[in-house]
Amino acid sequence: MRKILLFAAREYKAAVKTKGFIIGLLIAPLMMGGSLIAFLLLKDRVDTTDKHVAVIDHTGKITPALVMAAEFRSTKEIFDTTTGRKTKPAYSFESVTPHTTDPTAQRLELSNRVRNGSLYAFVEIGASVVHPKNDDQASRISFYARNAAMDDLRNWVSGPINMRLRSLRLADAGIKESDVKDLFYWVGVEGMGLVTVDEATGKARDAKEADRVSALIVPIIMMLLMLMMIMMTVPGMLHSVMEEKTQRIAEVLLGSISPFEFMAAKLVGGIAVALTSAAVYIVGGTFAVQYMGYSEYVPFIALPWFIVFMLLAIIMFGAYSAAMGATCSEAKDAQALSFPVILPALFPMFIYVPVAREPLSAFSTWISLVPPFTPLLMTLRLSTPGGVPTWQLYAGLGGVLLCTLFFVWVAGRIFRVAILMQGTPPKLSNIIRWAIRG
Amino acid sequence: MATIELDNITKMFGKHVAVDGLSLAVPSGSVYGFIGPNGSGKTTTLRMIMNILYPDTGRIRIFGETLTPLLCDRIGYMPEERGLYRRMKVRELLLFLGRLKNGKDITTHVDRWLQRLDLTAWANKKVETLSKGMGQKVQFIATVVSHPELVLLDEPFTGLDPVNTEVIKDAILELQAQGTTVIFSTHDMSMAERMCDFIFMIFKGRKVLDGTLASIQDQYATDTIRIRTRDGAAVLRDLAGVERLKDYGQVQELRLGPNGDPHAILRTIVERTRVESFDIVKPSLHDIFIRIAGAEAQEVEHA
Repeated sequence: MRKILLFAAREYKAAVKTKGFIIGLLIAPLMMGGSLIAFLLLKDRVDTTDKHVAVIDHTGKITPALVMAAEFRSTKEIFDTTTGRKTKPAYSFESVTPHTTDPTAQRLELSNRVRNGSLYAFVEIGASVVHPKNDDQASRISFYARNAAMDDLRNWVSGPINMRLRSLRLADAGIKESDVKDLFYWVGVEGMGLVTVDEATGKARDAKEADRVSALIVPIIMMLLMLMMIMMTVPGMLHSVMEEKTQRIAEVLLGSISPFEFMAAKLVGGIAVALTSAAVYIVGGTFAVQYMGYSEYVPFIALPWFIVFMLLAIIMFGAYSAAMGATCSEAKDAQALSFPVILPALFPMFIYVPVAREPLSAFSTWISLVPPFTPLLMTLRLSTPGGVPTWQLYAGLGGVLLCTLFFVWVAGRIFRVAILMQGTPPKLSNIIRWAIRG
Repeated sequence: MATIELDNITKMFGKHVAVDGLSLAVPSGSVYGFIGPNGSGKTTTLRMIMNILYPDTGRIRIFGETLTPLLCDRIGYMPEERGLYRRMKVRELLLFLGRLKNGKDITTHVDRWLQRLDLTAWANKKVETLSKGMGQKVQFIATVVSHPELVLLDEPFTGLDPVNTEVIKDAILELQAQGTTVIFSTHDMSMAERMCDFIFMIFKGRKVLDGTLASIQDQYATDTIRIRTRDGAAVLRDLAGVERLKDYGQVQELRLGPNGDPHAILRTIVERTRVESFDIVKPSLHDIFIRIAGAEAQEVEHA
């Protein structure tokens, strides 16, 4: 054990004393949170060029309402009230008389106008939209544009058109709109947590309003934080073992320590590096959210499990990574193995959306009990306001422990043989043979 | 007492037999030379003694005990494929490697060896700033800094200039004088002849020579004549009873066949030219090595 700690201390110092570690400590959260920050910074950056739209209104009753709504919007909604700066594009509409004999030719002509830039888009309102019939072409409203699927304008026009349709339908039914003004008042359903008991007083405590930050953003941040720790540690083990092998240091060390101690020291060193990074992020992050007044969002109850799962993940993936590093005889081998090594750790990123949306579903439960995915997905689920049933945490922990032991055992067998093999490329068949025969 | 006892050890890599039924006893306090062509099993044997590789069959005893990882702390090992952490400082690295061996008084030993090998000025420099020769000396210090009772050196003189070769040779003999058992593998036969109390040769995984230089030479009898004549190798061809002729320019060596008679051969040569010197000698280690390993290409065959 003394030798493991001595070697691990060297590994730790070698890792944290480098500029790369300090820079990585700063860059990793920027990379991970970069897209979120970019989204927040750029979400109000929209194209403010005015948009002119033609309307083929087969009812002849809707276009004026659209024009009025656009004019109202242009005066009230497109300028910042404090700075007066234009923040949104103005919309304007022109009415086009429907072509009764050849509507397709008319659509082509308007499409060409969109192509040459004199129009942004055109809308065709069917003749029967006021009282629509099923599967009737005339009961549809169509929006034609270069990128209609993702267009904000398409979403906007549906509002004034449907308001106008509602008025027309009430009038046709002989009902005054002012008589039924509450008819269209929409009451949303508020998301609430569960009522709890105050431990100090023993009385029931009102449930808190559920919000997206606690339900989605905090769990994702916790998961990304763990992924970051894994990414900062595990690939480094692959490269450091490969360097020790290619620079012929490994055999010098094997004269003093066993292959098992060698690998164990690498893992302990890696864990120490990860704990250092985690301490920086957790302490720094906690201070930051407290300073900003968001400390209620920090899932303190999940932190001990976060640490446990993070350590096991680093041992599990680190052992695998160190074994793969031992199979490399040159830098390009390590380069080729970098992605396969990190893939099992990355896989939960491909499936986290359904897990985050429904953390207690059957799918979320069983996928988070698959040992290589458990650390990240269980952390994600545990950080949601509903938490995770305790038995699942212990079942997940047991699975990860067994899997970690298996990974370390197999990795140790591969490592022991591969570390002395010079010039043998890391072929899958060799790796399997070394794992089986040791 | 034997420091190392190898008892019928065999090591295979797949179907290739790297070491085949090897038995060897290395006496305490001796300098033992391992010789053999590349790929003959020297490094595999040393790795098994260091517990880095495990023999498939056979038994290894070190210091009278069955080999365990704990015993390896009493052995210094310098592998053939060796390197150092390039970004560590020399002294820091030596302290680290010495402590990894559970050595006592490491700081004192590091400073003494740095001074002994004239590296004190480089103690606080990074390894990457050292020349190749200095790096080799640091590697040697790393091997002996824990004050081991047994030192294994795999090709310790490779890549060293003559000055540093002498420095390392003297250091090895100093270790022996202090009672350390030293094993080193080498391709330098003259170095092995000069330094080793015992020589062991392995060829294709099997032991082919083992003993003192004199006892090995005795096995090969006095079948070699070293001669210098006025007309050189040209007059030494087609001699009855001579199996092979080696021409060193100023001197030639004749290896006698089974029925070779030195007196008859001398009479024939005297009839052909003026003989300046004529010695019946034992074959050198180099000759014995080549005879066993079969690298006969450089020899001049009978015309």
